[in-house]
Amino acid sequence: MNIFEIWSGASKSAAAKATNKAFRPRGNTATFVQVLLAGAVAIAMAITGCTKKRFDANDNSLNIGIRANVKGLDPINANDMYSATVIAQIYEGLVEYNYLKRPFSVQPAMAEALPEISADGLTFTFKIKKGIKFHDNPAFPDGKGREVTAEDFVYSWKRLADPRNTSEGWWILDGKIKGLNEWATAVKAEKADYDTPVEGLKATDSHTLVVKLTGPYHQLMNVLTMPFAAAVPKEAVAKYGKEFLNNPVGSGPYMLKTDKDWVRNSKITLHKNPNYRPATYPTEGMPGDAEAGLLADAGKTLPFADKLVFTEIIEDQPRWQNGLKGNFDYFDIPKDNFDSTIKDGKLVPELQAKGIKLHIDPSLDVTYIGINMTDSLLGKNKALRQAMSMAFDRETQIKKFANGRGIPAQGPIPPGIAGYDEAYKNPHTQFDVEAAKAKLAEAGFPGGRSKDGKQLEFTYEGGSDSTARRQAEFFAQRMQDIGIKITINANSWPQLQEKIKSKKAQLFGIAWGADYPDAQNFFQLFYSKNAPPGPNDSVFTNAEFDKLYERSLKLKDSAERTALYHQMRDIVANETPWIFISHRTGYRLTHGWLNNFKWTEVGYDYPKYWRVDAQKRAEMGQKL
Amino acid sequence: MSLASTSSASQSVQQNSLWWDAFRRFKRNKVGVISLFTILVYVLIAIGSATGLLYPHASQGEQYLPMSWQHPFGTDIFGRDILGRAVHGTSTAISIGLLASSLSLIIGVVLGALAGYFGKKVDAAVVWLYTVVDSVPYILLIPALTFVLGRGLINVFIAVGLTSWVTTARLVRGEFMKHKDRDYVLAAHAIGAGDGRKIFGHILPNVAHLAFVQFGLGFVAAIKIEVILSYLGLGVDPSQPSWGLMIDDAKNELARPFFGNLAAATLFMFGLILAFNLFNDALREALDPKMKNK
Repeated sequence: MNIFEIWSGASKSAAAKATNKAFRPRGNTATFVQVLLAGAVAIAMAITGCTKKRFDANDNSLNIGIRANVKGLDPINANDMYSATVIAQIYEGLVEYNYLKRPFSVQPAMAEALPEISADGLTFTFKIKKGIKFHDNPAFPDGKGREVTAEDFVYSWKRLADPRNTSEGWWILDGKIKGLNEWATAVKAEKADYDTPVEGLKATDSHTLVVKLTGPYHQLMNVLTMPFAAAVPKEAVAKYGKEFLNNPVGSGPYMLKTDKDWVRNSKITLHKNPNYRPATYPTEGMPGDAEAGLLADAGKTLPFADKLVFTEIIEDQPRWQNGLKGNFDYFDIPKDNFDSTIKDGKLVPELQAKGIKLHIDPSLDVTYIGINMTDSLLGKNKALRQAMSMAFDRETQIKKFANGRGIPAQGPIPPGIAGYDEAYKNPHTQFDVEAAKAKLAEAGFPGGRSKDGKQLEFTYEGGSDSTARRQAEFFAQRMQDIGIKITINANSWPQLQEKIKSKKAQLFGIAWGADYPDAQNFFQLFYSKNAPPGPNDSVFTNAEFDKLYERSLKLKDSAERTALYHQMRDIVANETPWIFISHRTGYRLTHGWLNNFKWTEVGYDYPKYWRVDAQKRAEMGQKL
Repeated sequence: MSLASTSSASQSVQQNSLWWDAFRRFKRNKVGVISLFTILVYVLIAIGSATGLLYPHASQGEQYLPMSWQHPFGTDIFGRDILGRAVHGTSTAISIGLLASSLSLIIGVVLGALAGYFGKKVDAAVVWLYTVVDSVPYILLIPALTFVLGRGLINVFIAVGLTSWVTTARLVRGEFMKHKDRDYVLAAHAIGAGDGRKIFGHILPNVAHLAFVQFGLGFVAAIKIEVILSYLGLGVDPSQPSWGLMIDDAKNELARPFFGNLAAATLFMFGLILAFNLFNDALREALDPKMKNK
């Protein structure tokens, strides 16, 4: 999954034994809270004489719990996993990933077919499917959605480039399309507007889009799957202005119907788009998919669920309890529940008996503590950054906060992506307090004190839930070991992102998940031209790195590119703009009534493929 | 809190009799003495942990050890002894209680005294101020202040101090209104005492018992508020030991199941708050002049 995520270790996984005994107060593992809860439910049932079914056998809506607040639903700012998860249901782009095929391959979405590419590889001609409509919305005349045309993509990508929008996704096309950067500069100087033509971005007729690149860009098709590149109707942007992020209008499988569908910081209900383009479930998968029942719905019309309900629950335990009770169709295992949920790599029999299934998938991600390179002290003192990285105990961090579900990160590239080097050991990620102390002395701060005896003090920005607080505390303790004092700030997810975007955060704990399975997606995080609002949140600037990065873009996967990637990795490892922490493994649970679940590590359009067996949920839900 | 006024006549005859009587009455109250003793134990624990005599280093070992003689409440996620955490939390609680209720006492007494003594516009201004402060629920006001001031021990006590002085101010104002025309004040006026001398030298000692009891109540409230704020993530810095943070930790740990943090924090809190409440009751009875001849 893409983009920035919260790195509190529990995020992508696991659960507890206490919980599967819930509602059986005699079980000696039932916790106090559960006994109370059971009592409350028993009383409620007694009062209402409850025989009512918990789930409606005709309601096939999909319920998904998300662990952070959604900051807004504008696709050009979909740079965090949680907002993007919702945005990707409402908006669509030209292309998408095939749901079942691995390695991930791009297939047409709103495009009729994959683009025609000129011999030099620089001109892409997209044909757009005819008859695709935007959602019905008051922004259009008569409130009926207008047909999507090639002009909409020209407009949407210009909007992405428009410096006034400070888009967090501009990096995907920055410097790539002929004339688009010049257009952006002219717009900033108020010398151009949306009617000014751009050489490399033209609609030659109503359904043909011709894109001319400035140079080879092998990741173009990958970035076009991202919500940043989705089609946005200009009528809606004109009507809602700054409120557009609260009034999304797209062409995706789901839509917001009324204001009441979105309760801020709590719940987003999306309804099936009645005018969704004809789309069907894939008919071919990988070996094993058919046996796993993933092809049972082959060729059926998408999406399956009539409603998508996203519920924002920040704390682990309520999310877990809701998952167990069947209120979410799929859910993660919090760290405190892991030992009692997973035994010897398998789900405990009590949960299996309830029809719950375990899915283990390595995540293409890296968790890290970003260091603000514009900070007057941290940014200028390499040895200091190295010392901090060396004093951080990754093994213990992974054990304590992720139940060992992950491996220590040596650099930005996770295993499973071309360019990952298993044998590589980053000299500055090996936990060694004594070496860290020596390094700190070399940095000019023996014992964490400057020459005039002042102690080093930094502020760490992290999340606001209990697990994030303890991870922050763990980091502060490790820094205390070498004499550095860390003040911890708790932030809501939107607050944290705002601080990073405005470069106000000194140190911050965060994670990056691959947008597409290519190491370039990780290296672009260090490219100086991607500084905030782009994704280079450490504001790392290194001329040599930039040169290598630009060279690597011109190459396809090859030994030469891998060699470049290793050089880039070595620069990052040496400069230490991040304290690398881990690459995680996702442990996810699904209920027996959820069909077609195959974890898609990149992309967010999976809910349209998932099908809830409402009848089965109504029956099984009674026993939860 | 209703308190009868002191008799001004007995005051002028025998300066210390009120306090001496109060002490005598307090001594007879066994519950009061025991709770005072308990509070003193807590204060000693607080001083001990703050100076590093008790549990000087949070040694880190195995995480989530069960209860044992070595670790009466087990160990937390970082392998620290939970009893040690609770002991260190005591100094946080006591210092918040002491500083926040001192701050609120000073603000409350000064504003209440000025309003009650001068009346008119001063009174109207003070009454307006405390009505405004009081009309915002403290559970909203304090987080708002901590957002402005930032997190940390000092900011928490400032926030609590700035919001909890209303009751004290109102009571002191009422007492001052009653006292300012009494004979002993008029007598002081007759011999040329100024406003300041009358307020602080004459009337204040006669309403001080009230302030004492308010101080005790404020102390308890401040400790509870600190725990609530820390639980909500608005209180002390996470690296500072606090009972509220321990309960916040316990929230997830109950699923393991692990009860150490919850048990230790609630037991320590229970002991201190119960002792303080009983002590306050005893103190109020002892200071009540109506009880003088009993």
